[in-house]
Amino acid sequence: MEVKPEEKAEIEEPEIEYVSYGGEHHLPLIMNLVDQELSEPYSIFTYRYFVYLWPQLSFLAFHKGKCVGTVVCKMGEHRNTFRGYIAMLVVIKPYRGRGIATELVTRSIRMMMESGCEEVTLEAEVTNKGALALYGRLGFIRAKRLFHYYLNGVDAFRLKLLFPPPRQVL
Amino acid sequence: MADKPVYEEASIDGQPSKLASIPASDTTVWADASPLLQAACAGLRDGELIHGDNFNLFAAMSALEIMDPKMDSGIVCTYYSIDEAIENGAAPIPISLDSTIDVCRTIDIMDHLLACEAAWHKGHSLAQTVFSCIYLLRLDRTAPHALLHSYCRIIRATCKAVVSVVSDARTHEEEDLFTLTYGLPLNGDGDDKCLSILNAVEETISRQLRACKATSSKRRLPEDLEPLQSNPNLEEGFCKALLCRLRFRKHFFHVLSCMKRPQGRGLESARKHIASCLTELESILKSADFLRSCFDESCEGDIDDKTTASGFEPIGFDAMLNSRLSAPTPPRAIKILSWKKAVEYFVKLLHDLDVICSYSLDPHLESLLRFVVQFQKSQPDLVARSHLQLLLVQDGKLYGRDPFFAVINKAAALPEATKNHDIQKNESFLQLGMLVMNLLKILCTNAAWQRRKLGKFLQDWRVIYVQLELAFRNEYGEVSSSSNDENTCMKIFQHILLWVEEQTFWIAFRFLILGFELELYSTGEYCMVYWYLYAVLIKLAEKTHLMMAVSHDTAKRKGKKKKDSPKDLARESRIPPAVLFLQCYICLAEGLTMYLSRCLLL
Repeated sequence: MEVKPEEKAEIEEPEIEYVSYGGEHHLPLIMNLVDQELSEPYSIFTYRYFVYLWPQLSFLAFHKGKCVGTVVCKMGEHRNTFRGYIAMLVVIKPYRGRGIATELVTRSIRMMMESGCEEVTLEAEVTNKGALALYGRLGFIRAKRLFHYYLNGVDAFRLKLLFPPPRQVL
Repeated sequence: MADKPVYEEASIDGQPSKLASIPASDTTVWADASPLLQAACAGLRDGELIHGDNFNLFAAMSALEIMDPKMDSGIVCTYYSIDEAIENGAAPIPISLDSTIDVCRTIDIMDHLLACEAAWHKGHSLAQTVFSCIYLLRLDRTAPHALLHSYCRIIRATCKAVVSVVSDARTHEEEDLFTLTYGLPLNGDGDDKCLSILNAVEETISRQLRACKATSSKRRLPEDLEPLQSNPNLEEGFCKALLCRLRFRKHFFHVLSCMKRPQGRGLESARKHIASCLTELESILKSADFLRSCFDESCEGDIDDKTTASGFEPIGFDAMLNSRLSAPTPPRAIKILSWKKAVEYFVKLLHDLDVICSYSLDPHLESLLRFVVQFQKSQPDLVARSHLQLLLVQDGKLYGRDPFFAVINKAAALPEATKNHDIQKNESFLQLGMLVMNLLKILCTNAAWQRRKLGKFLQDWRVIYVQLELAFRNEYGEVSSSSNDENTCMKIFQHILLWVEEQTFWIAFRFLILGFELELYSTGEYCMVYWYLYAVLIKLAEKTHLMMAVSHDTAKRKGKKKKDSPKDLARESRIPPAVLFLQCYICLAEGLTMYLSRCLLL
């Protein structure tokens, strides 16, 4: 828990620019954000795996030219379902609480839906109230609890969003 | 590529290269790959990637960036090897030439080992916790130091015993980390004598304690005994601090040995040792005040975070030495539990083990299931749960004693005589026995895994019901009048079919309830969950009631005539308490469903 109050950046809503992953020049921005904010270290191979195979699923949020948030995802066949997976979601502290994360996730999910995914999943720490609330609002359910999933011994929820089945053509 | 050994030239910055410590041999040679890498840098343009078919997420996540200390376990922190660490004095024997400091540091090592052990139990690797102790990694060299040597031996023997119990219980997923001992020196020659070695040391210190008390009260003892350490004012405190630590280890080892005895024969003895352990843990906690005050220097930082009672950092530990053995994934720094939390952990573990040891080994399955469910409410850790599982299921029998067909027979309210019936050799009944065995094992696992497994398990119970029903209809579908044995077989089938249904609904009920404990339901889903509970409970109550009616019938048919007295009829119409209880649940579930559905509408 942060004790010292974070200075909130003063911004107007339309000032956030959302961009789809555009190439290698975006990679260091994503890596910097994720390395800073998330506890597990990822090798560069991990980043490349996601952004090279599914560039259309990763998005960056810019404010006045500075990258303030990112989402990195994948999708694929998993046990007879075509499923999307949200691997990383980060928004830097001064920009939180403004719906930037929600917007990033929404864009990615929309793309997954258009690509034919039947569902979307991710894991989140059971103590990460912010993430759980965000995904809860989007309609994710807690499909499973994973015991001691993280190295610090914290459990995780597997969150799942089920897309409605495609309408039958009459 | 260069084909001559170039390690003499490999030191780029002019310092004598450490690479000389990894020399080329007859079959290996060092080659300078710098030109190759240099050329490769220009081989790909910005944004290009070579993607092999087997480059999947697992490969990417397991890949390492060489020289990134978070990922590269070959990156040396302090020492290349255990031997180098020892050569550089990381684990001195004796710890200090000053006997007082030596004793003090030994106690620190003991405390830190306890903290490491608790951290291991809680889910970290053995290699990064208990076996981060250099003394433990080279136990033989501690031989001149009786105290350290005996303590390390019993720790090693204890860890081996605990690994054995948890391995036998078969762990799953994240809990698999616990039993990873590859490469660690867990098997020691002579560890079976660890208790006698410990007893000898305990005896000496007891005599030293008596001697110093005698001196203080001006009475002289005939023994000409060397004191534990050189400061007479601290002798009593140190002796006591050591004794409770040694005794705790002794009694804990006994607990494990007793609980291992088959068919629960050692449970009563185990309880006595558990009580002793708890007493010694209290003494250990009390010793902290003395240990913190025996030197003028006080330790820095918050005492509550320290891994030792004295607050000082222990000598002789290096978690990175075993980094290659810690886990399949690259090692990350882990936080060892604080000493206080470690003691708390062991107190809880001992209480959980005590609950297991107090269990009466009830042959009635319903009581057993209730006991296990109740036990799990205190959220016991892996070691306690493994012990419970091994007590319940041994040699394919309940408590190693009751064959599962007999258990099912009793649970299905069949007469005692049928428990040895040949029908148990029937494939479906054998499978049913396995299902009951697996159910008990599943109920001993952690709640998260348990719920997922129970959900899948429902399918197996449904299948066995169908199989049994099919077998029943095939054998007795057309029979009208039948022989005695056929009557018995029919009865067995009927009872057991009913019992299987009851069990299935019980499992469904547990699955739903666990969702609350695991916080899987959002408030918006409660209405739906309670509605499912309502539906399941109605069926469960129905089957339970039928089961009881059928068991009452069995009892009745034993003695009475066919005529029903008014008293009998009255007794029959009374609803058994177990069913009444379920009906209360049904009302609750129904009420909550209605209430929550109104809330949703508003």
